[in-house]
Amino acid sequence: MRMPALVLCAALCATALTAASDGLQVRSIDGRAFALFAPKSPVSAVFFIATDCPISNWYAPTIQQVCRDYATRGVDCTLVYEDLDLGATPVTLDAAIRTHLREYRYGSITATVDHTRAVARRAHATVTPSVVLVDRAGAIRYRGRIDNGYADLGKPRQHVTSHDLRASLDALLAGRPVPTPETEAVGCYIADPAAIQKKR
Amino acid sequence: MRRYLLLSLLAVVLIGSAAVLAQTARRSATAPASATVTFTETIAPIVYGNCVTCHRPGQAAPFSLISYEDVAKRGALIARVTEARYMPPWHGDTEFGGFIGERRLTDAQIATIGAWVTQGMPRGDERRLPKLPEFAADGWQLGEPDLVLEMPAGFDVRASGPDVFRNFVIPTRLTEDKWVRGVEYRPGARKVVHHAIFAAVAGGSLAALDGADGRPGFGGMGTVGVLNGNGQGSQGLGGWAVGATPQMMPPGVATRLPKGADFLLQVHFHPSGKPETEKSLIGIYFSDRPPDKDLMTISVPTLFGVGAGIDIPAGTKEYSIKESFTLPGDMKVYSAGAHAHYLARQMIATATLPDGSTRSLLRITDWDFNWQDGYVYKQPFTLPKGTRIDATITYDNSAENPRNPVSPPRRAVFGEQSFDEMGAVLLDFEVVNKADKPAFEQAIGLRVKEAIQVAGKNGTLGRFLARANRERGGRQQLTVLDRSGAVITRVADPAFLQHAAMSPDGKQVAVLKVDSDTGYEDIWIYDVATGTGRALTNDEARDMAPVWSADGRSIAFVSARENTFGIYRRAVDGQSAEERLYVQNTGATIFLTDWSADGKLLTFWSNDTMYVMALTSDRPLAQLVNARGGRFSPDGRLLAYNGLAQPPGRFHVYVLPLDASSAASLAASLKATPKQVSIDNAIGGLFWRRDGRELLFMSQPPKPLVMATDVTSTAAGVESGTPRVLFALPPGVGGPAQLSSVATPDGDRFVFALSLPPRAPTR
Repeated sequence: MRMPALVLCAALCATALTAASDGLQVRSIDGRAFALFAPKSPVSAVFFIATDCPISNWYAPTIQQVCRDYATRGVDCTLVYEDLDLGATPVTLDAAIRTHLREYRYGSITATVDHTRAVARRAHATVTPSVVLVDRAGAIRYRGRIDNGYADLGKPRQHVTSHDLRASLDALLAGRPVPTPETEAVGCYIADPAAIQKKR
Repeated sequence: MRRYLLLSLLAVVLIGSAAVLAQTARRSATAPASATVTFTETIAPIVYGNCVTCHRPGQAAPFSLISYEDVAKRGALIARVTEARYMPPWHGDTEFGGFIGERRLTDAQIATIGAWVTQGMPRGDERRLPKLPEFAADGWQLGEPDLVLEMPAGFDVRASGPDVFRNFVIPTRLTEDKWVRGVEYRPGARKVVHHAIFAAVAGGSLAALDGADGRPGFGGMGTVGVLNGNGQGSQGLGGWAVGATPQMMPPGVATRLPKGADFLLQVHFHPSGKPETEKSLIGIYFSDRPPDKDLMTISVPTLFGVGAGIDIPAGTKEYSIKESFTLPGDMKVYSAGAHAHYLARQMIATATLPDGSTRSLLRITDWDFNWQDGYVYKQPFTLPKGTRIDATITYDNSAENPRNPVSPPRRAVFGEQSFDEMGAVLLDFEVVNKADKPAFEQAIGLRVKEAIQVAGKNGTLGRFLARANRERGGRQQLTVLDRSGAVITRVADPAFLQHAAMSPDGKQVAVLKVDSDTGYEDIWIYDVATGTGRALTNDEARDMAPVWSADGRSIAFVSARENTFGIYRRAVDGQSAEERLYVQNTGATIFLTDWSADGKLLTFWSNDTMYVMALTSDRPLAQLVNARGGRFSPDGRLLAYNGLAQPPGRFHVYVLPLDASSAASLAASLKATPKQVSIDNAIGGLFWRRDGRELLFMSQPPKPLVMATDVTSTAAGVESGTPRVLFALPPGVGGPAQLSSVATPDGDRFVFALSLPPRAPTR
């Protein structure tokens, strides 16, 4: 049994790190419109997460720590929720996400809900949790895992040995090339609502 | 022998609903992977039969898999995890007829799921959707228990960090011996409880460990083990893992729970990303008569491999231990189990029958410490006399093993810590012919004796004991001394302690404690009279340098919780919210040393600059370079501190008159010429007696002494007498580690976090 073709394409078709300098208008969970991929800060970290993905949740403290550590160095963090609650209205989904933000102590990090998957498509993000780093020109300079805390699904590493996000941030902030611009994230696949049949 | 065994595998087993499984088999076995696959007709029966036991609201799994939408939005993920056989989680197989409750999909089912996802996940005819299996209402799955035990207090699990192993001691208060035929475990915080192991221990036998660090229970994964924490045995009562459905023991089987016993619950917690509090419930079901089956357990290798000479060099990709046992009589096998730590990869036990044929008893090819199931054979079977049981455990101590608990890898030897290894396959059996029982007992007893002898010869036992000693040697104990240096009392059990500070009433000690399991540093408060302790802070951030307010109701302390050091205040009774007093944005370490008696000023040092700040301000009012360890006199008119002296590395004690009436006067007073009080190199432990006329301090090598000197302050300046020796500083205390109140206000009792000399082995 091979991997489903859909998944393979999602993984392989996204290898080119594309520029998206025209920005993408999104609305934050608190109602503020802003442009993703057109950051005002030197580097913007866009995290793809989901409320019901255990690996994504497990990374909450790590995401918060990275954002705290790099806040003073001009790194801006945004959370993009890739939840897909087909039974919920956008309002109830937003409420669930507000609860999640509070419970997982995300504090003041900007969050948005990617209802249509426009953000994930633009960033070629396929998995939660994953992260893209966008430079001031709007180019994606890193895409992939936060670190190697999970070797595979169900295989948490006892020791993180590769801090990919931090290494990429350090390189970008120092004006060096990102050591590994693309890594494979371990977690839950971001589902495309259009792929799910509403009718039989 | 059974008292040595870690797991009694019959008590709780993991089964799904047999009826549901049967239904699944009927419906899906015939579904060809090539035809159009729909959710309602083909996928729902597979999911309902194998996944929804856990993947439904209120259960341990992170999401439900009930509606089409539930399943379709995770279609790719489900295809991936089923294909990898990560889900449903099941790790053992056998050639002896299968296990009860195997959570395993057929190859055809897995192919069908993959085909459905590839085809775009068609929904299908809604009318063909099967009914969701009926599950027992929430509550006790085995019915109302005969005895319900509850953890006496909630245990806080942090949002992140390493896995935690914690043992909870729950008194049963049984007034007579009972026979247990079932145990049902109900975790409270299902997101973080990964697995649990149960045992009975003699009532009160673990009292010294329980709560010794001020939190419920005690740490470590070893106590329910080969050698108990108190040297006494424990009686296994089964276990629980995520996905478990409780089940009664087979008819005629029961385990004794002696009167007055304590129930020992060892829980493995895996942090979830947010803080959780666990308060487990345990339901126990009694049998009204003793068991009519006399089950024995055999461990291959013996005693989890204590005699197998486990010594795995760092980086070794494949390392095996093997042992055999030949049956002295016929045995009827009921269940199997396996136990090892993180490095184990495979566990294989086979039976070679007298006719030479070989069949696998238990085969785990992808051992996962996190999924420790019990394996109950669908049909108990008899192995004839002369059958040889071979068990092989294979370990991977390379860096490529993501589960390796040590990075970079280190040599691993037999032991009870998570970074040690052990390993055995266990079989629960009944001796078929009563006449053979002595032969079994003798054979197993001989194996144990031999294993211990081998362990003694090959160094395993020595290493095991030496490590236990080293661990003890590294710990400190809060020790209260009088003014002559005589020990008045030792407070609580040894732990990794620093920065002890005596409360103003002398009844409590605040101290930095390092959790032996997680390495987290928190502030603890211990009661001197009773030795009980509790955590004032409980988080991943490094918390240190506690200082009491003069009224003893608040503690100010340093924390790195915002990724830079800051000073925070908390009420000792925990009744009010924490308050942030100061944040230092340089990231340098801060050492807080005093809080003035009027409550208005703090003093701390960082990078050998001493600061004085007002609580009403968010930044220091004044600073003094080359100074540390400031202490305000009780009337607030003098400041004692340690100043850097010559040659480098030496310090002296100085005293300055202090005028805190304004920021300017404060800054000006720090510029005055200080009075040197000490004669020899001295740092740490500065303390003003209540009347402000005596200053205590520590003299460092070459003379590690506790000193006292008289100090008077007149309009003409500060005068001090000749320092006198109170007592020799006890070995094992570093002066600079004593930051704050080392003594009671009258200077008559001192507290130190005293390193303990290594102790002789106790067993």
